[in-house]
Amino acid sequence: MLYPLLWMLASSFKPESDIFSSASLWPSHFSLEAYQRGWSGLQVSFGQFFLNSLLVSLSCVIGNVISCSLTAYAFARLTFRGQNIWFALMLGTLMLPYHVTLIPQYVLFLNLDWVGTFLPLIVPKFLAADAFFIFLLVQFFRSIPRDLDDAAMIDGCGPLRIYWMVILPLSLPALATAAIFTFIWTWDDFFGPLVYLTDINTYTVQLGLRSFVDSTGKSDWGALFAMSTLTLLPVLGFFLAFQRLLINGIATTGLKG
Amino acid sequence: MASAVSEAAPRPIEGAGENGWRGSGAGYLFLTPWLLGFFGLTLGPALISLYLSFTDFDLLSTPRWVGAANYVRIATSDPKFVAAMHVTFLYVALAVPLKLAFALMVAVILNKGIRGLPLYRAMFYLPSLIGASVAIAVLWRQLFSGDGLLNRVLALIGIQGPSWISDPDTSLYTLVALSIWQFGSPMIIFLAGLRQIPKDVYEAAEIDGASRSQQFWRITLPLLTPVVFFNGVVQTIEAFKAFTPAFIISGGTGGPIDSTLFYTLYLYQEAFAYFRMGYASALAWILVVIIAAFTALAFLSSRYWVHYDG
Amino acid sequence: MTHAMGRTVGAPALSRRLLMTSMLGGALATRGSTAFAQSDLRLRMFWWGSKERAERTNKVNALYQQTNAGLTVTGESLGWTDYWPRLATQTAGRNAADVLQMDYRYIFEYARRGALLPLDGYQPAALNLGDFSPAAIDSGKVDGKIYGVSLGLNSTALIYDKELIQKLGLKEPSWEMAWSEIGDLAVEISKAAKRDRFTGLADGGRDEPALEVWLGQRGKSLYTTEGKLGFDDKDIAEWFAFWQDLRKRGGCAAPDTQALDRGEIDSSMLTLGKAAMGFHQSNQLVGFQALNKSKLGLTTYPNGGKGAKPGRYLKPAMMWSVSAQSKQQEAAVKLVSFFVADLEAGKLLGVERGVPASDAVRKVVTPTLDELGRTMADYITLISDKVGPLPPPPPRGAGEIQTILRRVNELVGFGKLAPTDGGKQFVIDSTAVLARG
Repeated sequence: MLYPLLWMLASSFKPESDIFSSASLWPSHFSLEAYQRGWSGLQVSFGQFFLNSLLVSLSCVIGNVISCSLTAYAFARLTFRGQNIWFALMLGTLMLPYHVTLIPQYVLFLNLDWVGTFLPLIVPKFLAADAFFIFLLVQFFRSIPRDLDDAAMIDGCGPLRIYWMVILPLSLPALATAAIFTFIWTWDDFFGPLVYLTDINTYTVQLGLRSFVDSTGKSDWGALFAMSTLTLLPVLGFFLAFQRLLINGIATTGLKG
Repeated sequence: MASAVSEAAPRPIEGAGENGWRGSGAGYLFLTPWLLGFFGLTLGPALISLYLSFTDFDLLSTPRWVGAANYVRIATSDPKFVAAMHVTFLYVALAVPLKLAFALMVAVILNKGIRGLPLYRAMFYLPSLIGASVAIAVLWRQLFSGDGLLNRVLALIGIQGPSWISDPDTSLYTLVALSIWQFGSPMIIFLAGLRQIPKDVYEAAEIDGASRSQQFWRITLPLLTPVVFFNGVVQTIEAFKAFTPAFIISGGTGGPIDSTLFYTLYLYQEAFAYFRMGYASALAWILVVIIAAFTALAFLSSRYWVHYDG
Repeated sequence: MTHAMGRTVGAPALSRRLLMTSMLGGALATRGSTAFAQSDLRLRMFWWGSKERAERTNKVNALYQQTNAGLTVTGESLGWTDYWPRLATQTAGRNAADVLQMDYRYIFEYARRGALLPLDGYQPAALNLGDFSPAAIDSGKVDGKIYGVSLGLNSTALIYDKELIQKLGLKEPSWEMAWSEIGDLAVEISKAAKRDRFTGLADGGRDEPALEVWLGQRGKSLYTTEGKLGFDDKDIAEWFAFWQDLRKRGGCAAPDTQALDRGEIDSSMLTLGKAAMGFHQSNQLVGFQALNKSKLGLTTYPNGGKGAKPGRYLKPAMMWSVSAQSKQQEAAVKLVSFFVADLEAGKLLGVERGVPASDAVRKVVTPTLDELGRTMADYITLISDKVGPLPPPPPRGAGEIQTILRRVNELVGFGKLAPTDGGKQFVIDSTAVLARG
């Protein structure tokens, strides 16, 4: 289960020539040099990439949780004309491989003057461009008993209050899931930053990692694995922090009452 | 597709007021961010790629309208399309059910059996974290190559296995194994679904003397169907679009002998390696139609087995 | 009113309205680079390569900025695999960097589609290729015009595990060995090494450069000047048969072992410890040595026997090209010239991108090299009288031929096709691809 991680960890301490030729996990001699090379070996410190990634990922988490839950609430709990068609179109956006929309989208962002900034990575999340999460939340919202809405409605609650006071608190596990996935997937995303971020000062960690490797020439594999290991830590931290919401969510908020 | 969705799609709340917030107004208000995104960011590029599928766009020069030529070629004289279809369908048929079953199993165990230890749960998710890195490629080589771990185990019982990962007859199955191994995302979603089931339902069942397995089949699974449905649909879509595992393991070639030529890998080759973006766009839209058909079927069937409303 | 506004608002509004036309190759300018064009000159430079290359390149750019006040060069760098999708996207979006690193394989694709600037007119004032050999200049030409300036000479090279072969007491491969002799040596190495799934030679049957050298030695080429295949099914069947025979004798990697090679240094047979010799490029020696414990050596691909043509040729390891979309073309060309002709720049670059094509630069660089660098430079010197002319250029669609070669070689290797049928299959598939373009 954990072998690749151990291998990565071991490789970050190994001399370069041992990494691919020897299957042993234990380095023949142990060195922290790769971490130094990785952290400060590029023009820009790796810490900058961490900050950039954190900024992008946390923004995306906020954007996704807000916009996708609003959208999902509309689809799951409200009625409006054209609902089914919109729902089908929303799901349809999951189906088109991104390789073919890449260039039109690039031109769009170029015309908005957003290329080279974080905006192409963040703004779509605030506009619920990720159908995966809408669909996920729709499924969870729909399993919440409708009596609760009705009761709240009788108490004079409007849709916004029902969304805020009933649906969201009862969906903490689902919202935590959305937050975890958004963070991890944004953190791991490579293709978006590859296309939109050109200045090394704005690189995210994934782009920074790829700067160590050139498959046709001389790469710094040690630095790659050292920084890959460090890169996993925030993701793990975020996971551990939010999974408590996921696990405790409903049990404490409770349906009773 | 729309008609299929309507069968299972969100139903109106009974007894909605006529002139209150239950009209379309509130719905569209909540939908505003999505609509902005859809019309502002998503629709345009999608329509342009549809347009490009009728051209010979080569990434660098001005596209020329070629009518349905790309589609005709795909339908009549593209052996690689056939190979890629074969690989992809086989992959979807194997990887999706196996991965979901495994994810559900682990989620149920984590939910009930083993308490606490957040690190323990994280451990199950870790393989999915390092999704598509060199480390995975190396691990799979060490497990499934000719002198890999699997063969060393098999050798103990006197079987000499092939180099699974690089033999055209078996390489796809190693990618299926990779997909199952990265079961973290559906597992977490199952877990979230399990946490959403009220505890009092089980308490009532226990009073009635239902066994553990009865509880699973009669309570857990039915209440979990919305999540099962979600995972099924989403994993199927993702499996049809699978790209990274094959790209990493075969270095983007889809080899040996096209045995791991996933549909989107072929599409990527056409678009970026051979400068045939027009053709790749046509391939993409055919994939959309196929996925949409499967999704519509799933939605049609869902009213018979998916239970909402607790 | 609206009409007038449309005019005064100008390009940005227009281009947004005509998003589709502009992206589809319309003539509308996107803003990007113009914003900086007024007072200060800003050039963007984009290359693939690793950390070391980025460091060297940035130093040269810093040096250039010192002597050119008001000019800034910003570098963008990615690995090979990531470079091409971004370049394609940027070019399609009309936002390509001013100076681009080009590969011999891709320069034809980009130049013929109008993405690169022809440089002939800039000579000699802005572009100083004074002491380039005619061959070095020609290697950057597409259809008669200069589109690329060589950043370093390169050639095919057999890279081998020198230490192991010496330890086994066998003769090292050399430029004097023919294909059959290398094959025999490979079989001897396999036998002497006595390691599971270890062979003397990697499977070269799928390597397009190896096939090209082999064809060249028989007076043929991959393509004719008309852009057709330069050989027939019998030639290529013979090629497949050579490798099939070597496979049977245990001289080259078994097909399922060879298929582990994803075409990159880290998964090559040599690095994985599956073979003692492999078909690569001379400038890759440094990358290989970093990942291999044993000391490695470098020699030519096998020769074609007595009296045969050399088959190999000197080609640019990589080139600088100027984007046709650049707003500061002349400035970009001058920067390119600085990289290849300035002595100080040459010292900073070393042989990291290949051995400099300029004689003067090579003379000042040579003494500064370390052992690996010297080995590479010596190799280029050694073969310079053993190379032939550049072969006819690859036609449109040629990029896919190497995929077909690899696939058919695997069909033969896994026993799904006999070499003669493989030959026929290859010609049918390749002809179809070239016809499609």
